[in-house]
Amino acid sequence: MKEGFRQAMAWLHTWAGLIFGWLLFAIFLTGTLAYFKDEITHWMQPEVQAHPLDDARSLSVAQDYLQKVAPTAARWFITLPDSRDPGLSVMWQDKVDPGKRGNFIQKTLDPVSGQAVEARESMGGDFFYRFHFQLQMPYPWGRWLSTIAAMVMFVALITGIITHKKIFKDFFTFRPRKGQRSWLDGHNAVGVLVLPFHLMITYSSLVIFMSMVMPAPIVASYGNDTRAFFNDVFPATNNAPALGQPGQLLSLLPMYEQARAQWAGGHVGRLAVNNPSDVNASVNLFRASSDRVVHDFGSTVSFNGNTGELLRVSAEQSLPAAIGGSFYGLHMGHFAGPVLRWLYFICGLAGTAMIGTGLVIWLGKRQLKHAKSGVMPFELRLVEVLNIASMSGLLIAIAAFFWANRLLPVGFAERSDWEVQAFFIAWSLSLLHAILRRGRQGWVEQLSFAALLFAAIPLLNALTTSQHLGASLATGDWVMAGFDLTCLASGVFLAWAAWKMQHRKAPQPKTERAPPLRLKPEAN
Amino acid sequence: MLLALLMCYAGFTALCLSTDRHHGELLHSKPSPRRRIALRVIGWLLLTVSIWPAVAVAGWGLGLVEWCAVLMLSALLLVLLLPYRPRLALLLAGVGLLASPVAAFATF
Repeated sequence: MKEGFRQAMAWLHTWAGLIFGWLLFAIFLTGTLAYFKDEITHWMQPEVQAHPLDDARSLSVAQDYLQKVAPTAARWFITLPDSRDPGLSVMWQDKVDPGKRGNFIQKTLDPVSGQAVEARESMGGDFFYRFHFQLQMPYPWGRWLSTIAAMVMFVALITGIITHKKIFKDFFTFRPRKGQRSWLDGHNAVGVLVLPFHLMITYSSLVIFMSMVMPAPIVASYGNDTRAFFNDVFPATNNAPALGQPGQLLSLLPMYEQARAQWAGGHVGRLAVNNPSDVNASVNLFRASSDRVVHDFGSTVSFNGNTGELLRVSAEQSLPAAIGGSFYGLHMGHFAGPVLRWLYFICGLAGTAMIGTGLVIWLGKRQLKHAKSGVMPFELRLVEVLNIASMSGLLIAIAAFFWANRLLPVGFAERSDWEVQAFFIAWSLSLLHAILRRGRQGWVEQLSFAALLFAAIPLLNALTTSQHLGASLATGDWVMAGFDLTCLASGVFLAWAAWKMQHRKAPQPKTERAPPLRLKPEAN
Repeated sequence: MLLALLMCYAGFTALCLSTDRHHGELLHSKPSPRRRIALRVIGWLLLTVSIWPAVAVAGWGLGLVEWCAVLMLSALLLVLLLPYRPRLALLLAGVGLLASPVAAFATF
């Protein structure tokens, strides 16, 4: 009975993992890149220069600019630069239409000169962030598909734990250069050792989309008035309406300092000024999400813009909100400093590797049976093509996205869309290539090409911008330099992988009989 | 975070050495039952106690997250080093143990 149960779980693990593996690989890899969302954006918009942070200067620069450019706007938004995102972003809305979003005009300012920076149009790292849960599909289909993928991932994790018989005995075991055995060892090692991260990231993704996945409790307490639910979760800042009398907005700096004092030295992430030219102007300061692990959507301090009077300090989070907020915070990792952010990134890569090795194992086991005849049945060939295109093809697509950013002319129409197009064109071409080439060659050629693309990125950057490695290292722009160096390292790693693939012994049926290689049906 | 990392890595190395298979691979002998128990106790103790430096520096919320990250990554590092550079894996644990008082002194 016990064995039967484990067999059933192994079956589920195998097939759930296969069907959603390709999609999950893409979600995990792009989601991992999204941990460096701001850093990627900085590289993709090199016109935005990094300066030492000075909030007081940034605030006065932003206020002066908005006062000059949009004095009669209905709302201003100011996002202060931080160590990851050097741009000072200002946004305004001329008129507020209830029930409608949009009409926003956004500019990125240089926090020292106060001039608007004419940065190239690009989605930057936001593309990976959006893709990893929207999958470039129209709302809400992409979110649904990625949420279903997350549920399957959760099932695959649980069934994987049940299927893995010797979790503690094999805890430290990794035996390389043993073909199929090594792949299974590697799959188990990255799965078990980084399991807390896998469980956290998968479960929290379901919590983030809970209103979509599990609407029953919300419907039960709020009826069909889902608006009321969101108003409770994301408390709106109920500000006084404009009176229509002109007023004089005070300097924002004292309010900024008062807000920080309220938060015991916490940081201000964003400011919103309502009706800046009115006598009833109000200023809301939102706390930076990098301050705490537990995410709080509504941590604000509000002031009257004309008198500077403190109007309201948001209440502490309720316990359920804090629990939801901690899942959200843990998933996003906004609070992570450079070291912890890298650890997050490595954990994400481990998750990606776990999915990738799983796909390789599925195919490898079944290929062994056909190694003698040399003819692969259609379904195995299909899996092979999808494996190549979804893994090495995705790497090529990511590199193509970065290349397009540097090669498309700055003034090109719909430039940012074309960067995204380049990503998908490269991905489709890699699928075509995988169909045309035989398995091993497909892998080697695509991995080598991806290696070349990534390794050449520092060179490309040096040729097309003035912020090459020599300059960025000298000025201490670690984000820019780190991006170049990471691409170089990825290129070297992919070249090594291609080399390994080229020189790997062909899977021989003989190895199946070798004594240490008992292929058990545990992860069938 | 450094001190927690050193302690976690040393702790996992001790737990790894407490198994017959890895003790044989790394030190070419079978551990005596007493040694096995001692290694196991030391390993679990180091892993548990390593929560303290992480939490003491960064507070409970961030500290626990950092501790989890360090726990996972130190185990991953050890497992990847073992087949390729077994001597280095042991050496790192030794150096880590020696360096941890220095790291403790530097943080507190």
